[in-house]
Amino acid sequence: MTMAAAKPLAQSSRVLSYAGALLETMDGALRDHPNAFIMGQGVDDFKGIFGSTTGLAEKYGAKRVFDVPLMEEGMTGVAIGAALVGDYPITTHIRADFSFLAMNQIINMAAKYSYMFGGLMRCPMLIRIVVGRSWGQGAQHSQSPQATFAHYPGLTVVMPSSSQAVLDMYPAIINRHPGPVISIEHRLLYNLDFTISPADKRVPLTSYVAREGSDVTVVATSVMVLEALRAAQYVQDRAGVSAEVIDLNSISHPDWELVAASVRKTRRLVTADTSWLEYGVGGEVCRQLMMRDPGLLRQPPAMLGMAPAPCPTAKSLEDIYYPSQHDTVDAILTQAKGKNHGIDLPVERSMTEGYKRFRGPF
Amino acid sequence: MKDEAIYRRLFRTALLIRLVEERIIALYPSDKIQSPVHLSIGQEAVAVGVCDALRADDLVFATYRSHGFYIAKGGKLDAMFAELYGRKDGISGGKAGSMHLAAPDVGLMGSSAVVASTIPHAVGAALSFKRRGGDRIAAAVFGDGATEEGVYHESLNFAALMRVPVLFLCEDNGLAVHSHRPIRQSYRLIEHAAAYGIAGRRLEEGWDMLAVRQATLEAAAHVRSGEPFVLEIATSRYKEHVGVGEDFHFNYRTTDSVDAWKRRDPLIVDAKLVAELSPELEREIDAAVAYAEASPAPGRLELLTDVI
Ligand SMILES: Cc1ncc(C[n+]2csc(CCOP(=O)(O)OP(=O)(O)O)c2C)c(N)n1
Ligand SMILES: [Mg+2]
Repeated sequence: MTMAAAKPLAQSSRVLSYAGALLETMDGALRDHPNAFIMGQGVDDFKGIFGSTTGLAEKYGAKRVFDVPLMEEGMTGVAIGAALVGDYPITTHIRADFSFLAMNQIINMAAKYSYMFGGLMRCPMLIRIVVGRSWGQGAQHSQSPQATFAHYPGLTVVMPSSSQAVLDMYPAIINRHPGPVISIEHRLLYNLDFTISPADKRVPLTSYVAREGSDVTVVATSVMVLEALRAAQYVQDRAGVSAEVIDLNSISHPDWELVAASVRKTRRLVTADTSWLEYGVGGEVCRQLMMRDPGLLRQPPAMLGMAPAPCPTAKSLEDIYYPSQHDTVDAILTQAKGKNHGIDLPVERSMTEGYKRFRGPF
Repeated sequence: MKDEAIYRRLFRTALLIRLVEERIIALYPSDKIQSPVHLSIGQEAVAVGVCDALRADDLVFATYRSHGFYIAKGGKLDAMFAELYGRKDGISGGKAGSMHLAAPDVGLMGSSAVVASTIPHAVGAALSFKRRGGDRIAAAVFGDGATEEGVYHESLNFAALMRVPVLFLCEDNGLAVHSHRPIRQSYRLIEHAAAYGIAGRRLEEGWDMLAVRQATLEAAAHVRSGEPFVLEIATSRYKEHVGVGEDFHFNYRTTDSVDAWKRRDPLIVDAKLVAELSPELEREIDAAVAYAEASPAPGRLELLTDVI
């Protein structure tokens, strides 16, 4: 997606929104996998999980795509039961926060089936959860639980950051992955258009270099990958700083060697995650590097995440709660040139305003 | 006539709620209110009748659709608008917004945007009241959809076992987002409560503020005597689930049921009283909006306060 966009579009390239990519993979799952089914609150209504399941109930029937009562824990348990006997359940939560009601089934059951019974049974299923942000989502519609879920062995956690990532990953998960997968989709990505082409197809369930660089390594997740790419372009244009952006993508099973190799080259690190820093993804990146070689970094890393508080509703607070484009650029420049880098920062403070206008390519 | 005076009082509050939400609709395109709003237009009579029947020191635990309960329980209008605006003088300093309105000083204990999640809080508060003696009660307010969640069932069972003075109050608008009740529920709420040994009643006339008030008075008396009670009140959501528009053009529901409701809605039918009371209420709202507009936005100093 990223580099190809600047060149003229190859013949088979096309533009596909994130929601469109999700819809294609959901359609593909139902088409290719007779035992796949989708259940969740509102999956068959006219909004269709923000356009990612629209029309599928009509196409495949109510046995394959159906609405459920408010029953997050029960639904997840039902999905597990179906998975145990050979179905492929796909469940949805329009906010990640609602999946917290299903914690027991996800963590105590789905994550344990394979190991606890010594491999007698498997529980392949996909749980799609959506992270909200902006327009006053507030404390209970904005949480991003990748670190929570990735903490538990037995769960595979992914955060696709583009249409290409969805197309690469979902079919592989649905057709081949033996265990439960939690995919954390970001609401702000849904309406973005991405250029995709078969040439960009990648190995699923690992991490990628989203932009090559030599001065600073930025390890990012989900929508922060886009932030990092924009910031990388900015620092290149304004200061000739070359930032390498790594899309961690597969949160529970990243390619740590890829990350370490990048940091060996740059010796400078910025982490940019969609959640809190405390016990989070950035901390895990540092642990991985430290365990390989405590001398890898030239200086302490910069870490971007949400402020250590529940998410406030007021716009003025939300704007300083999330790292802005300004913060991302500043972090990269400070790593590369020190605190007094003296380079003008972008004026745009709120990323979400940018997203509303932002149409790629990146 | 006494009933007439009560009717006027209830009507005034119900009209205030409607005009407040209509003001929210009018303001929304200006982006001054940057918060999802779940309007209760059509459902005002429930909040008003219930809160009027409760004592001032009784507690209400509510949902994201609680503009009505905030106002009916006596929450301040200026602090509400400032909250919707995300300003410092909002009741929660802008941290709550529309979905988490609370006014503990008048007994509104806070609204949750996670469906059904405050139901056990009402049980807990009521349990505490009982243990400490006295006759305060707590009310759990929730939608029909919330009764599907496991925690509703756990709460009922526990309340029955412990004989907790809690009023379970279901606002039945027949919808959970866009899903109709019959495809979601295999039970009838009152029969279901009876299986736990909890008495209950369904009121069909949810547009009738006096009827809601009377039903709540009776239910509250039962609860105050030391038994939980389930009161289910039929009502009608005129607007879309979230947002300020209508949603009939999506064809998942017809206008019929809403139209039938509107024909009985006193805030529409009693146009004379609406005309009489509106100017004064609009002035109240003007003042609250002006207060919100003048209030400063919170910033760095507030971001990390009250975390623990
Ligand atoms: C635990 C949980 N699951 C799902 C949602 C998404 N959601 C928000 S409101 C709602 C419908 C609730 O219906 P009901 O309880 O009848 O209340 P109403 O909106 O009709 O007032 C749903 C499913 C949520 N907020 N919390
Ligand atoms: Mg409802």
